[in-house]
Amino acid sequence: MSSALNPTPALVELTQLSHFYGKFQALKNVSLTIAPGAIGLIGQNGAGKSTLLKILLGLMTPSSGGGTVLGFDLIRQRHELRGRIGFMPEAESLIPGMRGVDLVALAGELSGMPRRQALRRAHEVLSYLELDEVRYRRCDDYSVGMKQRLKLAAALVHDPQLLLLDEPTAGLDPQGRDAMLRLLHAIASRHGKSLILSTHLLGDIDRVCGQVIIVDQGTILGCGRIGELRQHWLGRFRLRWRGDDSGFAAALRGCGLIVQTTPREGEVVVEVPSDWQNVRFFEIAARHNAILSDIVPEEEDLPRLYHRLIGTDSRPASGVSAGRNKS
Amino acid sequence: MQLDQAGYRSWEGQPRSPWWGCLSIVRIGLTLIFRRWVFWILIGLGLLNFLFHFAFIYLKATLAVQNENIAKFLDNYKVTGTGQAYADFMFAQATICALLLAFAGSTLIGSDYRQGGMVFYLSRGIGRWHYIVGKLLTIAAVVTIVTTVPALILFIEYGTLSNSFQYFLDNPRVLCGILGYGAVLAVVQSMMIFAIAAWVPRTVPLVMTWLGLFVLLKGLADAMRAIDGNRYWLLLGFWDDMHRLGRWCFGSLDESRIPSAGYCLAVLSTLCVVSLALIVRRVRAVEVVS
Repeated sequence: MSSALNPTPALVELTQLSHFYGKFQALKNVSLTIAPGAIGLIGQNGAGKSTLLKILLGLMTPSSGGGTVLGFDLIRQRHELRGRIGFMPEAESLIPGMRGVDLVALAGELSGMPRRQALRRAHEVLSYLELDEVRYRRCDDYSVGMKQRLKLAAALVHDPQLLLLDEPTAGLDPQGRDAMLRLLHAIASRHGKSLILSTHLLGDIDRVCGQVIIVDQGTILGCGRIGELRQHWLGRFRLRWRGDDSGFAAALRGCGLIVQTTPREGEVVVEVPSDWQNVRFFEIAARHNAILSDIVPEEEDLPRLYHRLIGTDSRPASGVSAGRNKS
Repeated sequence: MQLDQAGYRSWEGQPRSPWWGCLSIVRIGLTLIFRRWVFWILIGLGLLNFLFHFAFIYLKATLAVQNENIAKFLDNYKVTGTGQAYADFMFAQATICALLLAFAGSTLIGSDYRQGGMVFYLSRGIGRWHYIVGKLLTIAAVVTIVTTVPALILFIEYGTLSNSFQYFLDNPRVLCGILGYGAVLAVVQSMMIFAIAAWVPRTVPLVMTWLGLFVLLKGLADAMRAIDGNRYWLLLGFWDDMHRLGRWCFGSLDESRIPSAGYCLAVLSTLCVVSLALIVRRVRAVEVVS
């Protein structure tokens, strides 16, 4: 009842937001509403992601339109907003010569924390991110993975409600990447932080985010929960069988079905017409001495969803990769 | 420690005004300067000059008690005590400070452009004006520590070691001179080094530009004066302009053969405005997201 009366305020609410660089329109009448949670921001190079991030961070004023982030007006309350957002930039944003703990404490002070509290909180956050053993080392001596976690610590130190993460796994090895994604997932799921993860790696978004914003040429092509955006293909099945390989697949084609082979032996993906009855798969299999073991309705994965929305084929578009993690 | 075991605690406090961030920038900047032994070579030079003057005042005061004639003899050298002496002391300190800033500019400002410090600062809760003010205050603090503070200590020492405190009452212009000259040095040098380091962030080009601006322009000013005979050419030498204005603060500027303090002030003000415009243009928050 109470939730109906006091619905959860939107994390981000944009209305007809546009931004121009000279004559070039980087964002075109963007309107969206995002609920709190982990949100992925995907788009090709030049799609408008960085412009959107800059506006959400309060660094740039939109040319027209407006909106709110965490309930703060993007134009009138930019400075208040910045104090409540933690930003982890892609670029190496460290101050050479400073010790890790001092750097994180400075980040806290610059976000409005008193010195003592910032220092205490820096120790806590560095312990949380497993950097406690290197906290007194100069940050220029850190490894790439440590630097990424140090940047995350600097973004987390003032306990922001929203984290903006720009390519947080860039330059990390598979173990480092896995650890970073686990960390982000924990921050979002256990500690109730909202995060907007801007990346080219769809696999990262798949692992961490429940919602996604897909940007292309300055417009929002899709925005919402990934599960809701996914197309449920009723007429598309993944079939697995044992026995005669080529004969069964050829027979399916012979029935007028669209058959796509997969790298696995004894597996195809078929598209069927609307009047198709699945019992016919068993009949065809029986005729060709094949034992059908699985008929799985196909669900669109994130790369397919992305490519469908931006209108390209399933090949990775420029600057966007599936980035699936094997671990 | 495993992540699962480590607790994440929230912070409940109220954020302070972003202007407090300026003080943090100053503190960190001074720490970065005074932590490097390379800078201590130049700071040590300034310290040596200061200790020489400090010891001289002490010696003079001690000898004055034993033999007044020796004290009067030492007074002839005008090493300290007068406005001119303090102006000369501050000029020497300012020269050392200019050398220090030539190298420190790269650490304080240049590295922010080269190694991402700018992104670090501007993606926090402060705006670009907080960053600019913080950095300018840092450089001004370095200049003040090397020039004004030692001069003030010498002034206090001289007055305290004299027979009475009459020295302080008799020489208010000296105090004004120290503070005025110190302010001129701090404002002009901080604006200039910030502007140059923001556009020429690498150490060697920065040192060459910074020193070249003072040395070459002074040489050019002297050469043009010699050719043309017009004393206003001397205004081109920014370094001397600062010293002239400083000496005017002490009341010891002879304006008969050099441009008056008003002209020097006008030139230095214009220089500061141009420097500020260059700084503002270079410090852009939108560069934070690549």
